[in-house]
Amino acid sequence: MSGIGSRLAGATLAVVLVAVGGCSAGKGVDVDGGGAAGGAGGVLTAAIGGEPDQLDPHKTSAYYSFEVLENVYDTLVEPDENLQMKPALATGWKTSDDQLTWTFTLREGVKFSDGSPLTSQDVKYSFDRIIGEKLNNAYRFASVKSVTAPDPATVVVTLNAPTPNLLANLGGFKGVAIVQKSNITSGAVKTKPVGSGPFAVSAYTSGDSIKLVRNDNYWGDKPKLDGVTFTFVKDPTVALQNLRGGEVQWTDNLPPQQVPSLSDGGELEVRTTPSSDYWYLTLNQARKPYDDVNVRRAVAFALDPAAITKAAKFGLATPNQTAIPKGSAWYYEYAPYRHDPGQAKQLLGRAGVTGLTMELMVTSEYPETVSAAQVIAAQLKEVGITVRIRTLDFAQWLDEQAKGNFDAFMLGWLGNIDPDEFYYAQHHSGGTFNFQKYRNPAVDKLLDQARTETDQAARKQAYDQVAKQVVDDVSYLYLYNPDVVQGWSKKVTGYQARTDRAIRFRDVALAK
Amino acid sequence: MSRFILRRLLQSAVVLLGVTLVVFLLLQLVPGDPVRVALGTRFDPQTYEALRSRAGLDRPLLTQYLSYVGHALTGDLGVSFRSGQPVTTIVLERLPATLSLALTAVLIAVLIALPLGVLAAVRNGSALDHAVRVFSQFGVSVPDFWMGIMGILLFAGVLGWLPPSGYVALTDDPAGWLSHVLLPAATIGLVTASILTRFIRSSVLEVLSADHVRTAEAKGLRGRVVVLRHVLRNALIPVVTVVAVQLASLLGGVIVVEVLFAWPGIGRLTYDAVQARDYPVLQGAVLLVAALFLVMNLLVDILYARLDPRIRVR
Repeated sequence: MSGIGSRLAGATLAVVLVAVGGCSAGKGVDVDGGGAAGGAGGVLTAAIGGEPDQLDPHKTSAYYSFEVLENVYDTLVEPDENLQMKPALATGWKTSDDQLTWTFTLREGVKFSDGSPLTSQDVKYSFDRIIGEKLNNAYRFASVKSVTAPDPATVVVTLNAPTPNLLANLGGFKGVAIVQKSNITSGAVKTKPVGSGPFAVSAYTSGDSIKLVRNDNYWGDKPKLDGVTFTFVKDPTVALQNLRGGEVQWTDNLPPQQVPSLSDGGELEVRTTPSSDYWYLTLNQARKPYDDVNVRRAVAFALDPAAITKAAKFGLATPNQTAIPKGSAWYYEYAPYRHDPGQAKQLLGRAGVTGLTMELMVTSEYPETVSAAQVIAAQLKEVGITVRIRTLDFAQWLDEQAKGNFDAFMLGWLGNIDPDEFYYAQHHSGGTFNFQKYRNPAVDKLLDQARTETDQAARKQAYDQVAKQVVDDVSYLYLYNPDVVQGWSKKVTGYQARTDRAIRFRDVALAK
Repeated sequence: MSRFILRRLLQSAVVLLGVTLVVFLLLQLVPGDPVRVALGTRFDPQTYEALRSRAGLDRPLLTQYLSYVGHALTGDLGVSFRSGQPVTTIVLERLPATLSLALTAVLIAVLIALPLGVLAAVRNGSALDHAVRVFSQFGVSVPDFWMGIMGILLFAGVLGWLPPSGYVALTDDPAGWLSHVLLPAATIGLVTASILTRFIRSSVLEVLSADHVRTAEAKGLRGRVVVLRHVLRNALIPVVTVVAVQLASLLGGVIVVEVLFAWPGIGRLTYDAVQARDYPVLQGAVLLVAALFLVMNLLVDILYARLDPRIRVR
């Protein structure tokens, strides 16, 4: 029995030692993984909001994965800061007169980070893999008949129909990256992908961090940093604290309510950049009375987008009644609705609707939909529509969406470049994501035509017409284009926030 | 003794089998389609079908379950739906982080609760007793995420003594590990200490009124000796159970605290797996936690026999 007393004493002593040790260790912790390690360039630590599900660029759909992979992989072509497609692995391309054959010339001497050469065979392998295994981005290759590699420096893509947005499809983001066959077949790609980008993955600690080191075989300008470490910090307050304390030098996970005060200069650089994402509300046209355009327009007139934007994004967004943001070459200025409850009530009267109860489905995965829903409910109450808010976790939300079990939902579309991405899947009657069951033969025809229209001006005109019709019919009730919000330490130079949310550290340097 | 352990291990195997069945069935009831979550916002229907069949989710439920159990018997818990990594590897990788956090938290909790609980009981009804009761009420009722955030703002923000979040392996850098573990461990430790303090207080109070204590006092022993030798030993037997149960539940991962402090443990893994409906990982994590619980229970039973000669295991 005497054992207990001494064991307790031992344990107590151990705790005291731990506590004392903690105090002395406390001061010196900020160098861990921070800027001090490595050579002249230093290692930048970036805090992202969650962990990548996996690092196979063709199989992941998670933005967290692409934040990392943007720095590891290359694509055939890539969007510049204005989202115009520019050479990357391909230095140039030719299009046949019938627009059905595209011939790409590859950059000379490109190597993967392990030193093996990257040739046209790798491009062919990558594209064939996406198409053949029906991976996530297979839809981008819908019009591709075949990919061939006649010589090591040439890739030929043959099409079934002219595809004016082929470059955006083949290089819009790293989901269509050029991968290395042996890295894929060995399965190593899931945690240790091999690409030809400016950095290479050196270590992956599940749940904690991914470490990248500079790829000395990189074909472009040599990156200044020795490496980049991505840590996964879910809580924005904690991420901000890490940035302030110097443990982290970059993050895109900041508490939105604090961004206005952080942007006023001071210790950190916090930038808000308009993005090409958009958020919207949509009504289920397969259900009465939402099949009546008067009811949908009544909802549009009842809402005050400025108030919704403020509640959902703390003002970090631009209200927009169309999908494509101002500043894009495809922007179409059109804003037929204004906050007018009288008009809304009149439209509801015309539709013969009284005492309507609407179920609005939102998801805790995107907290902005939850806060916006409160404001939407209050505004619709004014015109006599009672809103019942259903807050679901995302997996269940997606289930209900697919089954059509909703009156209305709010969500966003992220990372769009070409107008086809903004409209086709969402508003074509046969579109994969037309959950609101919108059907307008005129819009279908325009969308089908614009898909293959190779004359830029005519294409723009077709999409302008689509934009106007979709807004008039309230297929989507567009709310706002959110800002990309990112913050970094004053020691970081050369970083540019991009509208497509691609996180590129290739030109970044870290001051001592 | 060894027969006792053997029998308990066999029972544990049956319980674990039951756990797999219950978890599997529960997951079927949870709404949400892992394939859609994995594919994100853009894909076509062929892609959906292809992934569903690659993941084996198009097979009949019974086939899915039997193949799972069959593999599990050989130690193969399947592959993660999200990452394609073996579940056994993923779950075991997270164990050290959770283990070190849970043990540190319990250590802190015992260090706080033991003196507070004993003092409160010995000075029953005094101002000190009331203060201790207020403390323990506070610890039980304040949400741990709030306590964690306050800790971060104070110790990482204002004072700058500790890093706000993150993890360093104990084997890589003990000092770094310590500085990172203190805040999350103290957050959990305070909550656990509150529960333990109440328990120790009432347990000690009970023993204080026992006959042998009165006898000891009547013999003229000093108060300190009575408490340490005659009260504490007896009062601690039930406390061991509570500490063990607390430790076992902490080993299951403290989801909120692990997520808040970016601690790569079982709790955070479970959270991510639920979000993504990653059934294999979720099953693996639950199975591991159940196994830890069973082991902990067995240890407590054995410990009981050591602590109290009246208890015999057979």
